[in-house]
Amino acid sequence: MTCVLIAEDEPHIVESLSFVLRREGYDVTAVGDGETALASVRRARPDVLILDVMLPKLNGFEVLKQIRRDAALNSLPVIVLTAKGQSQDRRLAEEIGVSRFMTKPFSNREVVEEVRRLTRR
Amino acid sequence: MPRALIGARIRDRRRALGLTQARLAATLGISPSYLNLIENNKRRIGGLLLKRIADALEMPLEELDGAAERRLISDLEELTAETLLVDLHLDPARAADLAGRYPDWARALVRLQRAWRERGEIVAALSDRLNQDPFLGDAVRRVLDSVAAIRSSSEILDTVEDIEPVQRRRFVSIIADESRRLTDVAQALAAYFDRAHVGTRPITPAEEVDDFLFENDNYFPSLEAAAAELRAAIGLGDAAPERALADYLSKAHGVRLVVVPEHEAAASGPKDGFDPDAGTLVLADTTPGATRRFALARLAAALFEGGRPIEEVIERAPLLSSDAARRRARRALGSYLAAALLMPYDAFLEAARRSRYDIDYLAQRFDASFEQVCHRLVTLRRPGASGVPFGLMRIDPAGFLTKRFPLPHLPLPRHGNACPLWAGYAAFQTPGVTVRQLAAFPAGERFLFLARTVEKNRPAFTLPRRLLSIMLACDALHADQIVYADGLNLSSSAPATPVGSNCRLCVRRDCRYREEDPIIDA
Repeated sequence: MTCVLIAEDEPHIVESLSFVLRREGYDVTAVGDGETALASVRRARPDVLILDVMLPKLNGFEVLKQIRRDAALNSLPVIVLTAKGQSQDRRLAEEIGVSRFMTKPFSNREVVEEVRRLTRR
Repeated sequence: MPRALIGARIRDRRRALGLTQARLAATLGISPSYLNLIENNKRRIGGLLLKRIADALEMPLEELDGAAERRLISDLEELTAETLLVDLHLDPARAADLAGRYPDWARALVRLQRAWRERGEIVAALSDRLNQDPFLGDAVRRVLDSVAAIRSSSEILDTVEDIEPVQRRRFVSIIADESRRLTDVAQALAAYFDRAHVGTRPITPAEEVDDFLFENDNYFPSLEAAAAELRAAIGLGDAAPERALADYLSKAHGVRLVVVPEHEAAASGPKDGFDPDAGTLVLADTTPGATRRFALARLAAALFEGGRPIEEVIERAPLLSSDAARRRARRALGSYLAAALLMPYDAFLEAARRSRYDIDYLAQRFDASFEQVCHRLVTLRRPGASGVPFGLMRIDPAGFLTKRFPLPHLPLPRHGNACPLWAGYAAFQTPGVTVRQLAAFPAGERFLFLARTVEKNRPAFTLPRRLLSIMLACDALHADQIVYADGLNLSSSAPATPVGSNCRLCVRRDCRYREEDPIIDA
């Protein structure tokens, strides 16, 4: 089963995204801060990570940077969710290496399609 | 005010008060004949006696001895330097005439100028403040979070036909919750805008050029290509670049390099030393090597293909609306092309990466100055082959920013000073030593600052030392690629200096380093 890890601190967004992705047959886990996100990625090796930029403890950029630096993880597809100052965030994340951007508010269909595209091998 | 007028003023004022010479003399404890000499300007007086006369005549001393008028004259002289009035060619020497003959009109002018300046500063600060306001940034984020949750939940309700009743209720309640949160944010935003009134910013030519460079990410592919062509035409290699440049200028453009003693260079000709009619580039014999090479490179760049590469960039720039802005941009792009000529992109990027952006190494490797290397580092923004994104600023000893290349998240103040805590200011305390700093901004962004003063050429012992501080900044996320961050804890939870952008815009109310009140109380 394809595993999706959602790192997002807004519980309502987590709830609806999990619902939608589970209906599509994905195994979904969610975490609410950057440190836990990094630990879960290392432990559980998901197939795709949906990563919010503004996370407590370790922000999304730092999580992304650590992932890209780790030889065992650097090919993990990462979808970054941005909300504030979109173009600036986008630029910074591109510098670090992101697979795909989703700007809030996104549609469920966009997310599902993106997850499907990134996990299709 | 001329001393000669003091006597007349005393007499006028005494008469206006209805006092006789004898009466006033008695009050002052001097003889009436001596007072008569004073009133007829036959005796120069000052100090204590003048103060006693002013008191007896119930008028401020500064009005009597002309200090007020002198201040008015110097304010008027300052006004003649106002950029807005430059084309009127006001003569500072005439300020005394105006102040003497029409003091009220002179005061009105000074008062208007002050009010006009203050308004300008408020407008600029407000607009800076809005661009980096943590409250607004946070509010927008909360709005988007709520809308994202609402959109996602409502799409589920709309499209999932076989949804369980309990799940359906859950998503309806999420929508209700998020709608309430949205209401709170919207009300807070409305209240915020009730307090802060937004103005539009007057754009100066310097700001237009700043915006233009920023829009282009300070990277100009056509100029990089032109630099490569020009480099080939010159036959510029790593060896003896100065000779090659001078030979090229002489052969291709008939321009001779003339080195003259400092005082002759300062006295003659245009500021950049190039005289097209005489076909000479005049440089002082005290000009340092790196500056001399750069001057040669800049001239070669400006003359290359009749200036076409630079003009083409300027013609395509809608942001440059005035002649003054285009002139400035032409100068900036000329320097860009010269830097690209002396520090070719690929070789420079490779050396920068290999040395982990060690500026001293790069300065030696490319025979360039510290400042020239910092400038070139800021331009390494070629898509697909970019270096660490740096911002740059240069600070003069009075604290003003005289050059600025901002980063998207790091706004450099357009006017006046930056935050006094920035490494760029600390660098003045230890001239020539590189100062580094991990700086945390109120909204949470972190930057690595590194700064060092550079000493501008001092041609004589009698002239004051001229230090400028150059500061580079990069996002803390990139700092691990840079030699200057070695040994620093770069994690976002590690300690960092709490800084702001400048005091007037800063939200750190209790900062003990605050020098000015914030312009908006948030």
